[in-house]
Amino acid sequence: MALSVSTEPKNLQPTSAGPVDVGPPAAGPAAATSAGPGGLGTTGGTEAPGTSGLAAISAIPGEELVDDTEPGGRRAGLVASLRTLGSKPGFVLAVLFIVFVAVTAFAPGLFTSRGPFDTAPADRLVSPSFDHLFGTDEIGRDLWTRMLYGSALTIKAALIALAIAVIVGLALGVLSGFCGGFVDALLMRVVDVLLAIPALLMALAIVTALGFGTVPVAIAVGVGIMPGFARITRAEVLRIKTLPYVEASRAGGASWLRVLLTHVLPNSWGPVAVLAVLDTGVAIIYIASLSFLGFGAAPPAAEWGTLISAGRNYLVTAPWVSLLPGLFVAATVLSLNHISKTLQERGR
Amino acid sequence: MTRRLSRRGIAATALAVTAALGLTACGSSDGEGGTAAAGGEPVAGGTLKIAFWPDNPSFTCLDPFQTYWIEHRTVIRNVADSLTDQDPKTGEIKPWLAEKWEISPDGKEYTFHLRDGVTFSDGTPLDAAAVKANFDGAQAVVKETGGATYGASYILGLDHTEVVDPSTVKVVFSAPNSSFLQASSTTNLAIISPDSYKKTSKERCLGQYFGSGPFTLESYKPNELTTLKKRPGYAWGSALSENTGEAHLDSVEFSYVAEDSVRTGNLVSGAIDIAWPRNPFTVEDRELITKSNGVVESRPLPGVAAAFYPNTTAGRPLADLNIRKALYKAFDLETYAKTIYGADYPVVAGAFDSTTPFFAPQTDKLRHDVAGAGKLLDEAGWKLGEGGYRFKDGKKLTLVLPTTTQFGPGAELIQDQLKEAGIELKIEVVTGAELPAVLKNGNYDLTSSYFTRAEPGALQFILDPDYANSKALATNASSPETTAQIKKLFADARETTDDAQRESAYADLQSLLIDQGVVFPWFERVQFAGLSKSVHGFAFTSESFLKLNDIWKQ
Repeated sequence: MALSVSTEPKNLQPTSAGPVDVGPPAAGPAAATSAGPGGLGTTGGTEAPGTSGLAAISAIPGEELVDDTEPGGRRAGLVASLRTLGSKPGFVLAVLFIVFVAVTAFAPGLFTSRGPFDTAPADRLVSPSFDHLFGTDEIGRDLWTRMLYGSALTIKAALIALAIAVIVGLALGVLSGFCGGFVDALLMRVVDVLLAIPALLMALAIVTALGFGTVPVAIAVGVGIMPGFARITRAEVLRIKTLPYVEASRAGGASWLRVLLTHVLPNSWGPVAVLAVLDTGVAIIYIASLSFLGFGAAPPAAEWGTLISAGRNYLVTAPWVSLLPGLFVAATVLSLNHISKTLQERGR
Repeated sequence: MTRRLSRRGIAATALAVTAALGLTACGSSDGEGGTAAAGGEPVAGGTLKIAFWPDNPSFTCLDPFQTYWIEHRTVIRNVADSLTDQDPKTGEIKPWLAEKWEISPDGKEYTFHLRDGVTFSDGTPLDAAAVKANFDGAQAVVKETGGATYGASYILGLDHTEVVDPSTVKVVFSAPNSSFLQASSTTNLAIISPDSYKKTSKERCLGQYFGSGPFTLESYKPNELTTLKKRPGYAWGSALSENTGEAHLDSVEFSYVAEDSVRTGNLVSGAIDIAWPRNPFTVEDRELITKSNGVVESRPLPGVAAAFYPNTTAGRPLADLNIRKALYKAFDLETYAKTIYGADYPVVAGAFDSTTPFFAPQTDKLRHDVAGAGKLLDEAGWKLGEGGYRFKDGKKLTLVLPTTTQFGPGAELIQDQLKEAGIELKIEVVTGAELPAVLKNGNYDLTSSYFTRAEPGALQFILDPDYANSKALATNASSPETTAQIKKLFADARETTDDAQRESAYADLQSLLIDQGVVFPWFERVQFAGLSKSVHGFAFTSESFLKLNDIWKQ
């Protein structure tokens, strides 16, 4: 990761970073010379004022160099990346859709005037129309409205699940990769066992033990997808631990904790971030699966999976009841996958 | 020439018969189990494929005495015969394995005179000793399970059975049991070979027994497939069937399909011949079946209607009779039936379904009246407050309904109806395994239940704490005084041989159940069956189970 980031600025900075970093003419050549970890010694020092004033106050110039070139390169890279990404219509569409879903999750009332629980027996199983965008269900509730209010539950559950997975996974991974030895062996065998059990199956077992509801489902899914995060983090930590700048900072007298927090952790969560976006989609699918099976929120509240499940009996006769919420979930997950894939490609 | 003529004659007769039968078939057999939707001369042979909903997850059983799963009672009906049969149209008891019977004036002794020439499928003859073995075996199972077995409510007060002579058997009760004659017609008291009772009750549950029915049980793989084979030489069908001899079909396969839509799809695509749902078909499914040239048959299941039972223990909102009365007015049963099951679906009118003998409708007391409900609640001190819900002393009027979601759809419509009256219905989804504990701890306000039997006494199985499946539900459903009243009315009806007294006791009971707010009817349970166009001779039994005697395929 560090390597790829430091090579990127080489060809990008002359065009994009120039205007951003006001002034220092040294920026261009500095980046050009700082190709690879080998050139970190003194050239980075000249670049420091241009990117961040903090480096100048730093007590150990040699150590801070790495960090300074990194954010500087990253920010420049980000702008360039955004430009390139902005020219990809698929990516833009996916992002816009995810933004829409996120907004509905926190303010579902913005997009509908109906209540999600208002039944209307007379309007039973009305097919989609301008009045009812997604049609109505078997007791006349507007499915578009229920879909939006379902976002609130599903997205929040996905966020809780992801938070659990990322925090616990990252902690375990870092601990395991950084400590090595017995701790590593022990933690990784535990993770092995967890990985051996299919995540959805484990989530099912956990939710059965915890009871029904949105939060138990979120916890179950979070624990279910956590092992992947631990494994990836560990791999990254192991890789970064051996890099020369870590060695350098150790040689410079930094404590292990300091090395961990300022060097290893920030540099290892790139792939974890990509995995997080990718696993948001997975989490949503798992949450929808569990609520499809009836483990979700208590009726009349409905998560996406509950909506899909409720239309099962009308698949042939009133397909929209299951199909439209299903397509909505599919679109959300596909968008997330597309975003994470694109980011992954950019990262290479 | 003569040959040609006679052939023409046959054709003409066949046509006439077809037309006549066709006409009766068009009359639809709704509500009448006896009519056979025939369409010509029966054709022998073929395998009939029937799809049920899933097997009982907590008690996989095919033993007549122990089974309550209504799908399996259908299977048993075709494998084992009973002493008597019940006419689906009139509720009258007709001879079957017993040619005639006498009931002693005090109602304590039932003497059955058995038919000659009947054998079980293992070859043993049906005689008085075999019948005695059955009742002795049943009593043993009751003892073994501490009275919790389902057949127990059919033989209440049974003392012992005597063999009078090889073809006469006397069943003696310690107290009169007027519902026993009806009980003798049910699948639960179907007679199986005496050797079957040498097996354990578990083994019998897995199908290790022999009946005397028109089919034999070939195999039973729980929740997978149950297969029946035709019994050659069968010749003692009840007179209520058109075909009292060997079955037309060679074999029958019962599969278990969890998804209603898949089951209907299977029928429409021709993968199965009969779709047999537990929850009534949706209107859409019925249309789908009719459109694909299939036939939809239906008959309300006799016995206890789908209903909610309250928790009236002190401290719970429903301890107040006024709130229970308001609840009746808050329910809109007509809209519920129309919305969930279609415009022509019967509206429930009391604790029992309309096909139950001695049924007395309570329609007026169940009328929807939100304003009336509001008035009652106002008087009880529950005032409208935040969110349209009612509050008293800062406490919201909340009713908890634990549910397994498997039975009875549309609870969310009821929830919205109650909301209009300011009552919050909290639906708590629990697993089937958790439900008994929830009931036992009293952490509920309403819970639903039902039970199928063509006799009002079926309700004892829910409401009488001595015989109830869930003692907690029965105890919580009414105050001790009301429970005593209910028990007395059941006893009045049971311990008499006078039909008029039974009728008046059951009428009083049905009225009391609503007046005291013990039963909150939800919907009439209708047994639907979707038939492919190749199925003929369909008939319901008096308990709305499927009878295969007359069925043939073409």
